Amino acid sequence: MSTEAAIEPPPAGGHVPSIATSTLLRSTREAALKTPSIRWCDDPQVGSSSSVLVDSRETRKMNTYQAVRDAMSIALNKDETAVVFGEDVAFGGVFRCTMGLAEEFGRERVFNTPLTEQGIAGFGIGLAAMGQTAIAEIQFSDYIYPAFDQLVNEAAKLRYRSGGQYNVGGLTIRTPTMAVGHGGLYHSQSPEGFFLGAAGLKIVIPRSPIQAKGLLLASIRDPNPVIFMEPKILYRSAIEQVPLDDYELPLSQAEILTSGSDLTILTYGTPVYTCETAIHHLSQPPPSLDALIPQSVRSASVELIDLRTILPWDVDTVVKSVQKTGRLLIVHEAGRTGGVAGEIATEIQKRCFLRLEAPVHRVTGWEDSEISTPVALQYEKFYIPDAVRVLDGIIKALTY
Amino acid sequence: MFRHLGRRAASCTARKRTYSDFKHGNLPHSHSPITTDLEFFNSVRPDGQQIPTYRVLDSVGQPIDGSTVPEPFSYICSSYETMMLLPTLDTLLYSVQRQGKISFYHGEEATVVGSAAALSPTDEVLGQYREMGVLLWRGFDLDSIMSQCLGNKEDKATKGRQMPVHFGSPQHHFHTISSPLATQIPQAAGVGYALKRDPERRGKDCAVCYFGEGAASEGDFHAGMLLASTIPSPTLFIVRNNGFAISTPSSEQYYGDGIAARGPGYGIDTIRVDGNDILAVLGAVREARRRCVQQGRAVLVESMTYRVGHHSTSDDSFAYRARQEVEDRKKVDNPVSRLRLFLESRKWWSDDEETELKARLKSEILTAFKRAENLSRWELKELFSDVYAGDEPWNLREQREELGELLKKYGTVWEPWKKEREKFNGSGDEFLS
Repeated sequence: MSTEAAIEPPPAGGHVPSIATSTLLRSTREAALKTPSIRWCDDPQVGSSSSVLVDSRETRKMNTYQAVRDAMSIALNKDETAVVFGEDVAFGGVFRCTMGLAEEFGRERVFNTPLTEQGIAGFGIGLAAMGQTAIAEIQFSDYIYPAFDQLVNEAAKLRYRSGGQYNVGGLTIRTPTMAVGHGGLYHSQSPEGFFLGAAGLKIVIPRSPIQAKGLLLASIRDPNPVIFMEPKILYRSAIEQVPLDDYELPLSQAEILTSGSDLTILTYGTPVYTCETAIHHLSQPPPSLDALIPQSVRSASVELIDLRTILPWDVDTVVKSVQKTGRLLIVHEAGRTGGVAGEIATEIQKRCFLRLEAPVHRVTGWEDSEISTPVALQYEKFYIPDAVRVLDGIIKALTY
Repeated sequence: MFRHLGRRAASCTARKRTYSDFKHGNLPHSHSPITTDLEFFNSVRPDGQQIPTYRVLDSVGQPIDGSTVPEPFSYICSSYETMMLLPTLDTLLYSVQRQGKISFYHGEEATVVGSAAALSPTDEVLGQYREMGVLLWRGFDLDSIMSQCLGNKEDKATKGRQMPVHFGSPQHHFHTISSPLATQIPQAAGVGYALKRDPERRGKDCAVCYFGEGAASEGDFHAGMLLASTIPSPTLFIVRNNGFAISTPSSEQYYGDGIAARGPGYGIDTIRVDGNDILAVLGAVREARRRCVQQGRAVLVESMTYRVGHHSTSDDSFAYRARQEVEDRKKVDNPVSRLRLFLESRKWWSDDEETELKARLKSEILTAFKRAENLSRWELKELFSDVYAGDEPWNLREQREELGELLKKYGTVWEPWKKEREKFNGSGDEFLS
């Protein structure tokens, strides 16, 4: 619980964790500086990572878009070849992630593009193929499909097809993803699953400001092209004390957020907080749900894991957890068929078959039309996996 | 096209003096004059008038009155040798027909070689897959050509992963070809911008993007032209309009006046050139490149080429061509014979030299081919490399190991695998140990 939240009077009905009150968010400086696996990237002149004491580092309260902006500002500062571009980025971006960057770094380095997603991706590939750092924005991940050819056929394959002679490791595509509650079919999608088969690409989805900054800097500097999907509801709602220094968080490494022994919940992005709420309801059900939660599961100990990198994903952490708990529930907003959960479930059943005490459960968006990731406007409450659906999934997995 | 429109607009305003000074005051970013004429405009004009084609040599290789022969002339002789190399290579590889996809499309030698000669050797080239002439011009040797086409262990361009003619060489500033059409067009805009941002190359090099008129139908064409003009960068677009995309004639590819008509729509300086006249291509691309680098802006060259007689795949084409040389001379617009006639008329080329060149090229190509043919492939493990930089992800590692297990189990007994293993350097033994 954050110190700031603690001084406020408890809301009617008691504390139910939500994004605003999540204990997963690090709202003190001390907690922020203890972010697991944080790797400080200090300038050599200033001192090596070990020589700068953690005590001397500063943090500032930031929401996710501010943290994303902070990461790009550091990237632009430290890497003369870095450029940031996309639709409306010069005025600050529709989600404010590039606010002030054009003024700070000039229009040659932070610039608008015409409305052409395939062009943005292709332009970035060209820049990166020349060894420069391209940080491109696709305004909504719902609009990434025109760039699909460039990303899958070009960015993912250039290193391989050129026998390692060319690569676009300097390319990072940022794009807002997931639902906000009123985006409808074309402002709510989670298209990460479409890129699962594109070996050569990495897909990263952060859950918070600290995560966004560290993972984005790692993505920008990773020697592979990365699609960095930012859960757009978290831009404003997720707030943390974010270290001001340059730091990275590791790619392809999941993070155990709460440890437990009876059930593993694996998720990423916005549903991290939905899962936290569901876990809370499991042990302390609100009166309306009291009769529906069996006493036998209320004291279950749940391990919550944030996958963070979707491709290539961290199989070791998940396997280790499931070997301990024997049960796995995977939660994502994207539709079920062909989704990330299906891929993970297959690997886990192969590795943990004899240890599993229940089939791998999935709580995901529904496939309610021929489009694989529709989020119908007036139906969103029932489309998006909410706390009750996750709770129900937990109960099913525990009582199987 | 727009020159004509401009003239027409001027005459309109002259006639209607009262409106001559009016500009639309309420349209942002527009200085469009006001008119009372309800007139539509189009690149397809009622009088049939089209964008002109720049040409230097006539169909029998003589400079047209008033034309400028680009200098220095040493370039022209070298161009001829490279041009001759292309059909010779084509004939050999076509007859090999290893994969049925080796073909270099005669009739475009002048466009490719002429433009290559006009470029700086450090200009970044993003090709489609018919621009081998650019590589040859830049000194990419025959062994490298053959190694890529046959996919042997010296194929540094793709390690045997790509189909023939998918070349690439950072040393020659030639980006590795991919099969999807037009993807290189927006990439070229990015490469151009990268050159502009590089203090060591700004104002010196440009990005050069080749594609065919069929590829210009893809959305990536629009994206690339738009980006290169809106976010100004030294990007030179060279479209080879050969009239056909595989089997589809250009009349079924577009209705407007070729691809050149689209350049002004993007605010890009554009020229149409006779693509079978190497001196016209050389001169036009040289000037296009000069503007491109100097202004830091995109330029479009539409090179009109034609499928001339050479494309029929005679098994004995050297003999055939020698016998038919007189016929060749008569063939209008044949790019090779036009240049030869020009060279001969200046006494820079003779029948003896022609015979010697043909024999030498044929012998060099055969030597390179035989050498390449006897080289093994890369090691089998390269199937899994170069996917990611850095640590190999677990999924790739496990799949590589899985293939290893299968090879250990079946690779020495199952005949199809046994035979296939032998083609690889080390016979795939790295999986068996």
